[in-house]
Amino acid sequence: MLIKNGTVLTVTKGTLTETDVLVKDGKIAQIGKNIAAPQGVRVIDATGFFVMPGIIDAHSHIALDAINEATSPVTAEVNEGDVVNPLQIGIYRALGGGVTAVHAMHGSANAIGGQCETLKLRYGTLDNDALKMEGAPRTIKFALGENPTRVHGGGNNIVPRTRMGVEFVIRQAFSQAKKYSEDWDTYNKNKLAKGFRGAPPTYNLRLETLAEILKGNIIVHCHSYRADEIFMLLKVCKDFGIKRIVFQHVNEGFKVAPELAAYGAMASVFSDWWAYKFEVYYSTAYNAAILMKNGVTTSINSDDAEMMRHLYHEAGKTQKYGQLSDDEALSLITINPAKQLGIDSRTGSLETGKDADITIFKNHPLSIYGVPQFTIVDGIVRFDRANDPADMRLMPDPKQNMDDVYFRDKGRDNCMDGTEFLFGSSAEAGAKAGDSLSDKK
Amino acid sequence: MAIFFASLLWPAMSLAQQGQGQASEEKPPVAPVGRAYAITNATIVQGPGRKIEKGTVVMKDGLITAVGAGVVIPPEAIVIKADSMFVYAGFIDGLSRTGVTKPKEEKEREREKVKDPGNPPAERAGITPQNDVRNVLNPNDKSVEELRNLGFTVSQVVPYGNFLPGSAAIVLLGGKSADDMVLVNNSALYSELSGAQNVYPNTVMAVMAKWRELYRNASLTKSYQSVYAANRNALPRPENDRILESFYPVIDQRIPVLFKSEKVMETQRVFTLKNDLGFSLLIADVKEGWPIIPKIKSSGAKVFLSLELPDEIKKDEKKSDKKNVSLPAGQAGKDSVKTEPPKKEKPKTSFDLEKEALEKKKKDAIASYTSQASEFTKAGVTYGFSAMSAKTKDIQANLRRMIKAGLSEDAALAGLTTSPAQLLGLSDRMGTIDNGKMANLVISYKPYFDEKSKVRYVFVDGALYKMETKEAKKDEKVSAKGNWNYSTDTPQGTATGKLVIKEEKGSYSGTITNSFTGKEVEIKNVELDGNKLSFTFPYDDSGNALTIEVAVEIDGNTFAGTMTAGPNGSFPVKATKDPKF
Repeated sequence: MLIKNGTVLTVTKGTLTETDVLVKDGKIAQIGKNIAAPQGVRVIDATGFFVMPGIIDAHSHIALDAINEATSPVTAEVNEGDVVNPLQIGIYRALGGGVTAVHAMHGSANAIGGQCETLKLRYGTLDNDALKMEGAPRTIKFALGENPTRVHGGGNNIVPRTRMGVEFVIRQAFSQAKKYSEDWDTYNKNKLAKGFRGAPPTYNLRLETLAEILKGNIIVHCHSYRADEIFMLLKVCKDFGIKRIVFQHVNEGFKVAPELAAYGAMASVFSDWWAYKFEVYYSTAYNAAILMKNGVTTSINSDDAEMMRHLYHEAGKTQKYGQLSDDEALSLITINPAKQLGIDSRTGSLETGKDADITIFKNHPLSIYGVPQFTIVDGIVRFDRANDPADMRLMPDPKQNMDDVYFRDKGRDNCMDGTEFLFGSSAEAGAKAGDSLSDKK
Repeated sequence: MAIFFASLLWPAMSLAQQGQGQASEEKPPVAPVGRAYAITNATIVQGPGRKIEKGTVVMKDGLITAVGAGVVIPPEAIVIKADSMFVYAGFIDGLSRTGVTKPKEEKEREREKVKDPGNPPAERAGITPQNDVRNVLNPNDKSVEELRNLGFTVSQVVPYGNFLPGSAAIVLLGGKSADDMVLVNNSALYSELSGAQNVYPNTVMAVMAKWRELYRNASLTKSYQSVYAANRNALPRPENDRILESFYPVIDQRIPVLFKSEKVMETQRVFTLKNDLGFSLLIADVKEGWPIIPKIKSSGAKVFLSLELPDEIKKDEKKSDKKNVSLPAGQAGKDSVKTEPPKKEKPKTSFDLEKEALEKKKKDAIASYTSQASEFTKAGVTYGFSAMSAKTKDIQANLRRMIKAGLSEDAALAGLTTSPAQLLGLSDRMGTIDNGKMANLVISYKPYFDEKSKVRYVFVDGALYKMETKEAKKDEKVSAKGNWNYSTDTPQGTATGKLVIKEEKGSYSGTITNSFTGKEVEIKNVELDGNKLSFTFPYDDSGNALTIEVAVEIDGNTFAGTMTAGPNGSFPVKATKDPKF
């Protein structure tokens, strides 16, 4: 594929006008002027268009059949990778918004939730493994504050009921994992000795996973709002030697930006969403800009199937609230989320050798008039605005009644999905809880 | 949750009891073993593609002893003249809960609250792999007779429950006790990728995580137990754990894991577990295998396809659409002076076009499900069928739909006989009509897959079961009209009510009341075919709108049959006509 004569927004290497991008075998083979199209290669005329890296959403819940295992405050063993559902139409809609990769996360019901999966939006397959970005680092969801205390303390009258409780739960989990890890190391060492006879420790997948965090093999992505609890988790991480931590939402991140930067922690925020519950009253739309100017690697995420279709608008808001440059604003939805997911060597900017995850816009993506025209994942056009069929469902339900029209899969894509039963007995109350608790929590 | 229909503890009654009032010859024989039978002058389909015209099958002591055109009939044999009838090997169902007693479902508020939902008792978590299905097996359960009436003689059955409900057993659809029924005990470890209510593991991902943890722990415990057994001196005694021990035969590859695996994602998740842990695998009640046939083929899993199919789009749905478009009768009357304008096709709006496209896509989707079996045959995958989620009354029609969609009759027969026998390791005992095989047979008036073909006799392990035929009563005038007092048995107690059926120019309508709701509603889709009456009515189940399907057979001033509440199952209903009307 050859993308001809566009304005190429590389994000990391500046803006190149009237430039071509050559794609070969799913990778960016060459970026330059007047590249001759090799024989048989599809040419996309991008004259007057803007060519940018595919948008990456560092916080999403699409393409998943389960979001919260809300029955326990620690569920490190569960893995969103097991419940990826490539059939969800939301994937195609996200492609329509220029998104090429998402971080498909566990919800925020638990202090330590489940492992998450980094997906490439290769819509069109029924293979449950085909969306997984091979080689992407393992990640896991943590959550502080009102959600875990409400679910477990409020809902089930167990620890944690307070912010102190959340800290305790996390410290206890790590301490147990440390002991577990040591027990197995001892057993494995003894086993090598000649004539060793003895019982192995009980295998525990939860502690096994937590031990991997301690070994630095899993990146922590922590749902958080208040500065005090963010600072608390930094201390916990320091105590247990955990270096790779990304704070999600981080509405009060601006208060502890220097501390985050000093620790090397990253932040993934909303552009301007607040006041949906008590712990997010103290917020500002300047959050992203303040974090960035303080040297924190910052991204803007959606946590929402609708908002992820216009993350470029969300990034654009930082130019009004914080006067970020074009490259800074674009980095919030491209290279920075890639860094947070540990996939920045593969995607997040337009550079030779990187995966060909590319979005082509009519008008500048940070302009309110910007509209995605093509979304390309691994060199394959997955969305083409000019050829956008009316019905993109991969497997229509043969039992579905034609009259049922839902514009949104209720409760499918939010942080507190699967916890409704804790907040009301009747179906109605459950639905209400789902509404008021949805998304940005 | 459903209060009225949610669960059923089948009392061993209903039809069996009612049957006593009818011809006594319909009762199964008391002592099948030792009896000899000869079925004469029938078309014998020994197996797929193997047919004998005007042949005889001789059975003795539960085994087939002779098959052919000119075989000698032993003098002690009871001869069944089967002129113009068709004989097949008894059908085998790869997964169902036929004959398995459904536990009474406790209402959530009645259950003891689990203090820590993250660490519930194993039973609440659905982790009961040590459960033995024999303990909940009842040969008098109505489902045994229902499935047998279609020609099925053997089922692989599993306990109710989610996640790890217990062990499977291969059973005969006949016999007097649970032990009588069992052919192969612990034929597989049964599992479903579905979680527990409100406690851990609640989601599919937690179910999968727990599956891995249990299996790996079982492997570790098992190998430590053998270390301990070899020399117990100075070693801590290994703990006994019935849950982990249930995995041992799976770890030893002596039995497979049997997964209910309906959906395309579910099937692939089962494969994920298989690839992680390496057990041998049986997937059953597969409904959406057709998009991933190569993946299924390369997995090496043994496959049972579901006998359930999505409903066809009924033609009369379109008719009613047209009615809505035409003018109401009253309005046409007012304008009767004017001559009606010539009928013109209205130009299609974009709404019409969109609706058509959606309907076409739905139709195509239904076709994909219907042609699943023939696609598997084309791909060279050996498969059987499973009756787990199919309504018994739909199974024969669904087989015909599969055949219409490209499945050969031989392939359909193989899926019911030889292939499941092979997949379950029973080929030496069943699947064909050959000397030495078990006397499991099905005998139908017409070729089995013909429209309106009916089963006349079924032999299970040499025991004869005659199907009730109502043809003789055809002459009697059957009337559905009148006021009926009905009762129906549910786990919540007996519901009663009045059913009023009116007839007008051959079409029926009416109303029904129900003692649970105290409401009267209209019945719909009333049809009377011979003595078979069917209708539907809406039922409000605590805010859930359900359509109840009723199918009964009228016998004079009484009727008996079943009410089906969609996924909540079916239960017996009987009624008598109020003579005052």
